[in-house]
Amino acid sequence: MAILFLDIITTASILFVVAAGLLIVFGVLKIINFAHGGFLTLGGYAALVTTQLEWNPWMALPVALLSGLVLGAIVERLVVRPLYARPLDAILATWGLGIVVVQMITIAFGRGTNFVQSPVQGAIPIAGETYSLYRLIMLGVAIILGAAMIGILQGTRLGLTARAVIMNENLSRSLGINSGLVRFATFSLGSGLAALAGALITPLLSVDPLMGVPWLLNAFMLVMVSGTSLISLGAACLVLGGAQVAISTYSSPVLGALSIVVLAAVLLRVRPAGFARA
Amino acid sequence: MPDSAALAYPVRLPSQRSRIERWLLLVFSVVALALAAAGPLLLDTYSISILIRSFLYGAIAVTLDILWGYTGILSFGQAAFFGIGAYALGLTVTQYDFTAPIVIAALIGGPLVAAATAGLVAWLGFGPKVSPLYISVITLVLSVIFVQVIYSGGDFTGSSSGLSNFDTFDIAMEGWFRIAGAFLVAVTAAGWIFVRSDFGRLLVAIRENEQRCRYCGIGTARVKALLLVGSAIITALAGFAYAGFNDVIAPDLGNFQFGTQLVIWVALGGRGTLIGPAIAAVLIDFISAWLSGSLPFIWQLIIGLVFIVVIVLLPQGLGPAVARLFLRGDSKPVAAGLVALPDADAAGSGAVPAVQVENVTRNYGSLHVLRNVSFTASPGELVSLVGPNGAGKTTLIRCLSDGQERSAGRVAIEGNPIDRLPPEACVRFGLGRKFQTPNVFDALTVAESLRIARSRQERLSVTRTADEVRLPAAAMRVVQATGLSSLLGTTVKHLSHGAKQALELAMVLAMEPRVLLLDEPTAGLTRAERSLIGEVLVELVRAHGLCILLVEHDLEFVRDISSRIIVLHQGSIVMDGTVEEVTNSELVRTIYTGEPHAVAG
Repeated sequence: MAILFLDIITTASILFVVAAGLLIVFGVLKIINFAHGGFLTLGGYAALVTTQLEWNPWMALPVALLSGLVLGAIVERLVVRPLYARPLDAILATWGLGIVVVQMITIAFGRGTNFVQSPVQGAIPIAGETYSLYRLIMLGVAIILGAAMIGILQGTRLGLTARAVIMNENLSRSLGINSGLVRFATFSLGSGLAALAGALITPLLSVDPLMGVPWLLNAFMLVMVSGTSLISLGAACLVLGGAQVAISTYSSPVLGALSIVVLAAVLLRVRPAGFARA
Repeated sequence: MPDSAALAYPVRLPSQRSRIERWLLLVFSVVALALAAAGPLLLDTYSISILIRSFLYGAIAVTLDILWGYTGILSFGQAAFFGIGAYALGLTVTQYDFTAPIVIAALIGGPLVAAATAGLVAWLGFGPKVSPLYISVITLVLSVIFVQVIYSGGDFTGSSSGLSNFDTFDIAMEGWFRIAGAFLVAVTAAGWIFVRSDFGRLLVAIRENEQRCRYCGIGTARVKALLLVGSAIITALAGFAYAGFNDVIAPDLGNFQFGTQLVIWVALGGRGTLIGPAIAAVLIDFISAWLSGSLPFIWQLIIGLVFIVVIVLLPQGLGPAVARLFLRGDSKPVAAGLVALPDADAAGSGAVPAVQVENVTRNYGSLHVLRNVSFTASPGELVSLVGPNGAGKTTLIRCLSDGQERSAGRVAIEGNPIDRLPPEACVRFGLGRKFQTPNVFDALTVAESLRIARSRQERLSVTRTADEVRLPAAAMRVVQATGLSSLLGTTVKHLSHGAKQALELAMVLAMEPRVLLLDEPTAGLTRAERSLIGEVLVELVRAHGLCILLVEHDLEFVRDISSRIIVLHQGSIVMDGTVEEVTNSELVRTIYTGEPHAVAG
């Protein structure tokens, strides 16, 4: 039982870390970044490069974050900016972008599966069981990330302008807020977070060019049911991620893999606002 | 008789144009079929085997274009329907012997399962109050489910390695080439006729302005569901043929990536052009197969880059861009004639009130926009709703025309309670609603818009375009007096604001409503147009016994034409009386000038 509980909260943490970048981009830019999976893969390979260079495994995180930030910044200028007025087209263009990123990675690294060195090893005793230390670290990362993002949104000037753009972009612009800059910063940050998430999950999984797709789908569904709120996202990750763990444990892993997308789809039909307050 | 103003315009009639197009289509189809027949003699074996698949993909792209390019339904799940068709054959022939009844069962069963799945997807995705993105979400989920179902099937479905070497048709590769080629030509030709028909214009109308379609009484959810089911059936048939020819099927056939690839082909070829997506699908799949050996990843990279460039810079796709190099912009508007219909019968018995409103309340959270509004209006009455901004006038109109809108209370139109019915059902009780700002179809012509408004009286043909628009007298009068009759072939987005207002009013009148809800119908019109519309409305009420509810700010206009005035203030009716009673009322004057003490007293 303790194991199940730990599995649920750590799985929810991982989902939260993966989906957070997608959520802030959706919140501010009102577009779904389908390149999120591609950026995640990029982060995974950043971790792989760190391992291959025999750097300290923790170095994977800044390397991934930086590569995501830089690529996100370039992409925002070239691809995303012209599509602000066409949100459905932005989904398609960012999907195309995901393809480009994945193909470039394939050309550089091949199609094979690779493994990344974990910065911490082993398990620690907790609540009468022994449990993977790295998964517990992911719980801490999710909490810190969530708290930091809420802190930035609620406590800083940048956060205030971002919230203004989320609520009413036209009004914000007429009040002199440079919404273009807010969008630029948000998209870069979202991409950086995606790559960071990719580096964070790789010690638990293998690295291959298509690793981003299932994460993209789950993150997409979680964001759909969470709207633009980080708190809702946390709730969605706990409930749907919890359902995934429970179904995988007690029923079959195949059904478990489906649980997030199916439950989210049903939830959206019954309650279009999802976990967000209507 | 056709309107002389329209005929004076020297253009071909729609039927003439479509006759020319039909001949061209026939010629192209025959040539394409001849090429499909001769292809195996000219091509090497490898090309033949690839093109069979490419042709099937081309046919799927055509149906996806009808869904997405024309109707605006972005589906990522077409691959799942393809997979269902393919596995229908693979599974049945591995489980049972390859006999005619079994194969026929698979041929019918696969598309049936795909159709049922599409029906379920449509029921989930086109429900009321569901965001337009939701259909994309649910089709994406569909492809994920498909793959997981196949994975979990163990030996039965062959799991991740799929099924191969099952007994299949004894048809040579040349035969499959001709079958697939003929299938592509047939689907494309039928699709072409469909999208060029009057019904095809309805698809564009749904894409452009679904709300207006619903207020024309069209059950758009049903139309979209039928389109999705139709595309699922054709796609499953393609999947069946793929499995029959290829003899190897794998879960990849139905996955999200393939579903997205289909979308990419349609976008590259040019959405809403039908031919473009077909050509793009065939060409890209064919070239991909050739290059997959020599430079597989580079080729995918190029496709991805071109796709991004096209979406960003050429949203219409490459097809139209290429076509423009060779063809001059020759799509002159095609005019149609106007035909006046004899006047409909005068009002019904009059025993039933036209509009009956009982204790209607509308809350947004704790905000009460309407509270306990009750009134009745009879046929032959022109009731104006007046009140300051924020009084709840537009909200009341909304509550009368959409059963989902009100929080409590009862509404009946011509004696029919609207319960929780959607707008299209309310419209069928005889309701017509004109919105506050012009709510029209920007991409359609004036004639097409009017025809769609008439679609409940006169079915839209799925194969033809009509030469004339038949309008009842009131609509005809608006069309002629405002000059729209000489603009029948003009695309609506090029009309002035006033002309759009007049068009929307004409569209609503074309529906021959018994109850007319008009939200500031004369805003932005000239004085002359305004008095003309006043005359038309008065005549509709007097001679035809309509019941009109009018929201207006121009009190002079209201005074001239109303038979009764209802004053709304802060969500409640504060006065309901004759024109004299209301205009002489001290209460109304204070509400409008905003002296607070008078309202309380």
